[in-house]
Order: sequence, then C-alpha cells, then structure tokens
Amino acid sequence: MSEEKETVKPPEAEHEPPFGAWWKMYVFVLAFMGVLVLCFALLSNSYGT
Amino acid sequence: MSPIDWIVLGGTLAFIVLYGAWKTRRSENIQGYLLGDNSMRWATIGLSVMATQASAITFISTPGQGFESGMGFVQNYFGLPIALIIVSAVFIPIYYKLKVYTAYEYLETRFGVESRLLAAFLFLVQRGLAAGITIYAPAIILSTALGWNLTGTILLVGILVVFYTVSGGTKAVSLTQKWQMGVILLGMGLAFIMIIQNLPEQVSMGDAVSLAGVMGKLEAVNFSFDPEVRYTFWSGITGGLFLALSYFGTDQSQVQRYLGGKSPYESRMGLMFNAILKIPMQFFILFTGVMVFVFFQFQSHPVLFNTTATEMVMETPLASDMTRLEAEYQAAHLEKGKALDDVLTYMHTDNDAALEPAIVTLNERHKATLAIRDQASDLVEKASGGKSKDSDYVFLSFILNYLPVGLVGLLLAVIFSAAMSSTAGELNALAATTTVDFYKRLVKKDGSDRHYVVASKALTFAWGAIAISFALVAHLVENLIEAVNILGSIFYGTILGIFLVAFFLKRVGGNATFAAAIFAQMTIIIMFVFIPEKIAYLWYNVIGCVLVLVIGFVLSFFVTEKEIVEGDKS
Repeated sequence: MSEEKETVKPPEAEHEPPFGAWWKMYVFVLAFMGVLVLCFALLSNSYGT
Repeated sequence: MSPIDWIVLGGTLAFIVLYGAWKTRRSENIQGYLLGDNSMRWATIGLSVMATQASAITFISTPGQGFESGMGFVQNYFGLPIALIIVSAVFIPIYYKLKVYTAYEYLETRFGVESRLLAAFLFLVQRGLAAGITIYAPAIILSTALGWNLTGTILLVGILVVFYTVSGGTKAVSLTQKWQMGVILLGMGLAFIMIIQNLPEQVSMGDAVSLAGVMGKLEAVNFSFDPEVRYTFWSGITGGLFLALSYFGTDQSQVQRYLGGKSPYESRMGLMFNAILKIPMQFFILFTGVMVFVFFQFQSHPVLFNTTATEMVMETPLASDMTRLEAEYQAAHLEKGKALDDVLTYMHTDNDAALEPAIVTLNERHKATLAIRDQASDLVEKASGGKSKDSDYVFLSFILNYLPVGLVGLLLAVIFSAAMSSTAGELNALAATTTVDFYKRLVKKDGSDRHYVVASKALTFAWGAIAISFALVAHLVENLIEAVNILGSIFYGTILGIFLVAFFLKRVGGNATFAAAIFAQMTIIIMFVFIPEKIAYLWYNVIGCVLVLVIGFVLSFFVTEKEIVEGDKS
C-alpha cells in the first residue's frame, strides 16, 4: 500500500480512455492502410487480365 | 554449396546465437528472465513481434504462393492493422495496469482461477504442437532441397534455439530476433535485386510487371462477394481481423514480446510499427515470388522444382510416365516462350491490336504447362502416397541455382533465422505460461525469485526437448501442418471469446464465462469430429468466439457469481 502512495499517478494515466492521446496515431495507421489498399486496387486494375 | 556459403551461413548463425547468449547472461530475477526487466525500446519490440510471427515457412512458402497464385494472399493481412489498434487501445493498458507476466493472469483477476487455467491450458496444447512444426516444416524442405540429413537439420535448429532461449530468456529472444530480422530483410532485399538482374536483357522491370499483370499475377485486391473466391478484401478485413486479434491479443508468444516494453508507450509504438510495416512486408515477399515467376517464364527448368521427388518417381514403375511428362513440359515451355516474345514485341511497339490476341495465346499456353505440372504432381502423389507442394521449392530452387556464391549462404541464414526466431518466441512463452500460470499458481506460491528463474529455465529446456521430439516424429503424421492449423483454430476461438467477454461484457462473471467456454469448446470439438467436411476449419475461430460471447451473456442472467478479490491473485 505504501508503495502505491509513493508513486501517485496522474488521474489521466489511471482513467485513460481507450483511444486517449493515441487517436492521431490510430487515424494515421488506418489512413496509411487505406492508401495501401487503394494502391493495390490501382495495381490490380492497371495490370489485371 | 561452396565453402564461402558455409562460412556465411555458419558465421551469421553463430554470431547471432553467441551474441544473444553473451549479452543476456545475467538474468537472475524472474522479471528479467520473463519480461526482459521491462527495458525494451519500441524498435526492439516491433522487430521482435515481427520476427515471432514470421516463421521460416513465411520465407519459403510465401514467394511460392506469389509464384503460383499471385498477389491475392496479401488481403489476408488487411485486418491486422485494425487488430493491432484494438490491442494497443484496449489490451495493453489492462495488462500494464495489472503488471501481469502472462495474458492469462488477467483472467483470474476478472473471472477467477478456473478461466485463467482453462485459457492457459488451451494455449499450451496448441502452441506446444505448433513449436514442433515450426522446426519440422522448414527442416523437411531444406533437407529435401539440399540433400541434408533431416534429423541433423532438426537437431541443429532445435539445439541452437534452446541454447540461447534457456540461457537468456525473453531478453535473449528479443535481442536475437532484432538481428535475425536484420539478416532476413537484408537477404530478401538482395534476393529481389538479383531476380531483377537475372531477367533477360530485353526485359525491363516495367516489362516484368506488365507480363505478371497480363498473366493474372497482380490481382492484389478483389472486392467480390463470391464465397468461392478464396482471398477477397472482405474475407481479409473480417477473418484477418479476427485471427490477428486472437494472435496478438491473447497468444502469450506475442503478448510476452510487447509486455517486455519499458512503458506502455514503447509497447504501443512496437505494435504500430507492425501495423504499418506488416502489409508492405507481405506484399514485398509475394511480389518477390511473382518476379521469380516472370524469371522462370524465360528460363528453362524441370517440370517439378522438387527434383528429389522427381528422382524418387524415376525409381518406380511410373518412371516412363515422368520422362514423357518432362519432355512434354519442355516442349510446351518452348511454345509458351514464343508467345511471350510476341507479347513483349507488341508491348514495345505499342501494337494494341495484335497485343490482345497474343495475350490470349500466351495464357492458353501457360495453362497447358500448368496442366502438365499438375499431372507430374499426381505422379509424385501416386509414387509416394503423400502430397508434396511443389511451389514450396520454387524460391529455394532459385536461391540454390541462380544466386552468386555467398548470397546462397546468406539466404539460407535468412530461412534458419526465421525458423529460430519464431521457435524461440514460442518456447519462451510456453515456459512463461507453465511457470507463472501453473507452477507458481498451483505448486509453489512462495518461492524465491532465483527459484522461479531456475524453474523457467528448466521448463524452457523441457518445452524445447518436447518440440524437437515432436519435430523428429512429425513425418509419421500425414498432412501434419494442416492438422496443427486445424488444432489451432479449434482452440483460438474459445480463448479469444473469454478475453472479449472479460474486456467488453462487464456484467458477465467467471462462472458464466467458464461454462460458456466449456460449452463452446465441446461444440467445436463435436463439429470437428462429426461434420468436419461441412465447415471450413477457419470458421471454428469465429464460431467458438461468438458462442462464448452469446452463451456467456445469456448465462449471466441466471448464474450466481462469487466475488473476485484482487488479492487472491498470485
């Protein structure tokens, strides 16, 4: 118990919402994935039979 | 293989193994041994997560998949970035908050000890068998292609991995994986450059891509809803998400990689590193296979790339059939070559009117060569009584016959590194789960740190011995790789279901979840035993998970739950 008292964390760290400060990174990853899929679709259309 | 290749192969492997063992020789507490003292930076975690997933089969079979079926397989990875975002946002904060060593420890704080032990047991069964296959599968292909002794190859990979994994634990696994991944990326990059350089003079990189396209190898995305199409955008984004969520969120061999992070930030960055790079990496490996396909359109080659299988048929009464097929294939390949020259000429002169019929002719002649290859594979099956996937030998055949001295050794080091990195991750996780979830929880709760390190080392050694023994007798089981995949799918759904209930259905308690998990697992086993042909085994993942979620939720209205006290957890 005493250890817990010594290392008091800010309330944000304990109750951080799931997407918290990371939402920009997650949006970037999803956007990157979207661009990749678009490029793959263009590749399929340009060279497909 | 030349002496220089042996030196490159032996030197690379020896350096990585000795570096890993020496650098991590002082792991004296359990946190250091199982979580690497929580000292890993995101780059190490990212490469370690990637190396654990990429087994030797990735670098042998995936180019073969590109050679045979083109780029469509990449769609299977479309769900992976989304799964990693969910793991990063939901799983990591909980694992860190509770300071767990294994994913299954969390289940005890949420549901009680029964669910924890059930999930840990299901993991040990499936991953224990998979570790044997991770060693066996590349060993059988390498020993066939190189004429090496199978037992010797299995023992070489197995003993090296056990040596540094026992010695240095998680830290050794992650550090060696970083170097192994470096060797893998360097080797694959150089192999790709060599393929392009080995194309005929009149064929540019652009021509090679165009030829692959007109021969149907570049269809990377397919939006069809036809269930008979094997790889589509929709199956990748749903099935792929499901599998990746099970694997990265609940499989200890991956959870242990990112729990070694210095902070949740480092772990999340390691996962985001994979979310960004995994699809391009798979694309690149498949594209390498497609370029090998183009290369072999211009290069004379035997009807089957697994020449050992052909030689075996030649010693049976089916030899004359094989000789006939070989001659027919060479003639058909020459005919196809003429059609290929026509297509290239019309492409270079922009003669669109002549190009279209030339492409039709080329594809017809290509189909004729494929039919002969199928007949040759059937002959092998008749002669040996077992199936051999010839596409697994395509990339190895290219490495051994067309790469310069030195690079052959490096590419073999790539395959060995991949085999060792994934096996090490598995053995490390098996030992951690056995130590923390069974030995420490049920047998000896109050041992010293030193005691648990010794126990973990002994268990790593024991799991290594089991994996090597299983690899040595693996040839006795027909279609073994598929058998292990089926076994994995039978258990994965239930494990993921338990975790999803824990995270998202707060009203469902331990008794309801445990009963739902047992019911779901029994249902899947009954389906597998009695109607295996009605449902493709990949669907077991989905069915098992949904059953746990739905039944757990319904039972929560009727079942009385005991209160879980956090201090109960060991």
